[in-house]
Amino acid sequence: MEPTRTGSATLVDLLDRVLDKGLILNADLIISLAGVPLIAVSLRAAIASIETMAKYGMMRELIQDVSREKIH
Amino acid sequence: MKLYLYGVIEGVHQQALEIKGIGGNPVFTVPCAEISAVVQECKEPYSAEDTQLMTEWILVHQAVIDLAWEKFETVIPFSFDTIIIAKDGRSAMENLQEWLVKESTSLQEKLKTLKGKAEYGVQISWDPQLVAPRIIKNDAEIQRLQEETCQKSPGTAYLLKQKLENLLRLRLEIAADVYFKECYQKIRASVEALQVGKTRKEEPPRQMLANFSCLASKVDIAKLGKELEKITQIEGLFVRFTGPWPPYSFVS
Repeated sequence: MEPTRTGSATLVDLLDRVLDKGLILNADLIISLAGVPLIAVSLRAAIASIETMAKYGMMRELIQDVSREKIH
Repeated sequence: MKLYLYGVIEGVHQQALEIKGIGGNPVFTVPCAEISAVVQECKEPYSAEDTQLMTEWILVHQAVIDLAWEKFETVIPFSFDTIIIAKDGRSAMENLQEWLVKESTSLQEKLKTLKGKAEYGVQISWDPQLVAPRIIKNDAEIQRLQEETCQKSPGTAYLLKQKLENLLRLRLEIAADVYFKECYQKIRASVEALQVGKTRKEEPPRQMLANFSCLASKVDIAKLGKELEKITQIEGLFVRFTGPWPPYSFVS
């Protein structure tokens, strides 16, 4: 079995990592992110519906646009 | 001006990366004390109620970390919206550099241990309706209750049916626990590190049994793939295998 990074389901997997994980800096150096956990909750719910939408190709365009942004 | 921090990489690098960061801002590296930070300038945290915009920002965050990972081999990724501020008369850049100096040794050690490795997501789900027949087939008590239900009057049969459903639910819970433990042990043996995450809601009738984050060598990932292949052979069990991701779950 091969790992994949494509497909709508991986978006939720990615979201979990980018929003909840990764190194966290010493709090006195960074902006207080009090609002972010709330955003994460609502975004996760929205992404779940995006996942459903993506099955019908509605998110494909957005994801492709973002990929294109990688190159100047 | 504040600095949005994407990640920390090995070595001394002072360069612009060929990628647009969040909001189209240039991304560049800041070297200090044998390591470098991947950053962009920003004014405010990136937070919006517009889901599409937030998703786009998150994808850009990931794209920048991906590029740094590809270009510099190893990266310590930071959470979305990690923003360094100016404080006590010191600029954001000075604060960043001071932090890099202070944490350099531990970050270098972390980078060394992560070299050549990646994170993989493994989610194991099941469809209890597909597993139930197997459980019933091997459970004498359930079979006895089923036979009894057929022979009794409608009232008694109804009560027995409820009893049967409760018993099957209990057996399925036990089976879920057994599958979790078996999968954990098999997967744990084929990766370097494993973290158990919260299970997510799946589209019914599927239910997620396990949500693992695995740290494994990128070149040796076939070993994990083989174990997962075996799990998919079990009737009613499904595996989602994602990655390679930068090691988000293994940097704290």
